[in-house]
Amino acid sequence: MSLDYVKFSNGFEKFMPKEYRDMVEHGPFGKKVTVSQMGSFKEALEEHPMCAGCAMTLFIRLAIIAFPNPEDTITVGTAGCGRLAISQAAIPFVYGNYGDQNGVASGLSRGLRLRFGDKPKDVVVMAGDGGTADIGFQQVLHSWFRKERFTTIMLDNEVYGNTGGQESGMTNRGAVLKMAPLGKKFEKMDMLQMAKVAGCAYVATVVPNNPRRVESVIKKAVLIAREVGSTYIQAYTSCNIEYAIPTDKVMEDAKTVENDRYQFTEYVSEEAKQYLTERYGYKEFLPKPAAAIPNKA
Amino acid sequence: MYLVANVNVEICASKSCKLCTQYCPEANTIQYSEEMGKEQGFKYGSAYIAVDRCKGCALCVWVCDSLAKNNAIKMTMIDQLPKAALTDNITYGDKSTTAVLASPMVG
Repeated sequence: MSLDYVKFSNGFEKFMPKEYRDMVEHGPFGKKVTVSQMGSFKEALEEHPMCAGCAMTLFIRLAIIAFPNPEDTITVGTAGCGRLAISQAAIPFVYGNYGDQNGVASGLSRGLRLRFGDKPKDVVVMAGDGGTADIGFQQVLHSWFRKERFTTIMLDNEVYGNTGGQESGMTNRGAVLKMAPLGKKFEKMDMLQMAKVAGCAYVATVVPNNPRRVESVIKKAVLIAREVGSTYIQAYTSCNIEYAIPTDKVMEDAKTVENDRYQFTEYVSEEAKQYLTERYGYKEFLPKPAAAIPNKA
Repeated sequence: MYLVANVNVEICASKSCKLCTQYCPEANTIQYSEEMGKEQGFKYGSAYIAVDRCKGCALCVWVCDSLAKNNAIKMTMIDQLPKAALTDNITYGDKSTTAVLASPMVG
């Protein structure tokens, strides 16, 4: 859990594979990298077995670049598509049994605080909609009520994509899927309201068709979780296989869904705003009152 | 044979929007090189594809055509590419990468 774990043991440089050497010499560790620098540095994420054109992979790639301190971060995941990519990054990954990822992250985050004290060590949970809203629901809500200080990210593809297309709590009402041929009979769960009721300090929805926004949302969530309390991000990451979206139209679909039902929303608690302002010079964007806009005529 | 993305350096080096590098779902697949465009006398550098990592989803084609409106990326059969970048031939610098182009077909 420091820069030492991304260095070579003495004398072993020349035996290391090229990807490993690139990672140590030109990776994101120990320096600030941003989304606008993509394509010119070696990323922590490596090759992975996710489907071609998967929006979830794009989100995971952006999220891993956005971590404020990748060398001090541990990711926690559970069964589902997402872990296939998250586990292929040069960041320690803990694989929880199905549904217990927020329980595992609670213990991990408390243990790291005992061991390292004030030195920031970030725990980020990235799990699918099934892992977060269905099977892991109880542990997710309890970790929020306990105000555990880590970030929960839901990779919401609105289906159980890894097991053939069953409906999940986050599937939209009426959606017909391969393993739900009659259409879903209930509404999509409102996890955002539940996160606010449970006392999360930061709640946001995001769609990966705006990479810089994904970056800023992840950075804020991880920084707030260091000191203030639980943070929750819900990201729309379409499943192009189960929803039969042609791969080259994945971003078009993301744009349509963003305009339709996944608008960017952000809730920052007063305590979190104060923390961000004092430490990082955060300025809240507020629309100008009508009187302040100069009259063009 | 299979399709991989192919960047037209002439168009890319005159626009240099770098949008495709931010939208590819594969890590380190669309790379950016300052030298690739400048070698050919353009003002900016150009994006290029590490073809051994490209899964052929064509997401970058949509981004280049519809978001950036540059139409610089086309899907091409890999055996139709005389020269392409491979991960092993890419060197990272401080602010950019350089690639030695070689035939993507082995044997």
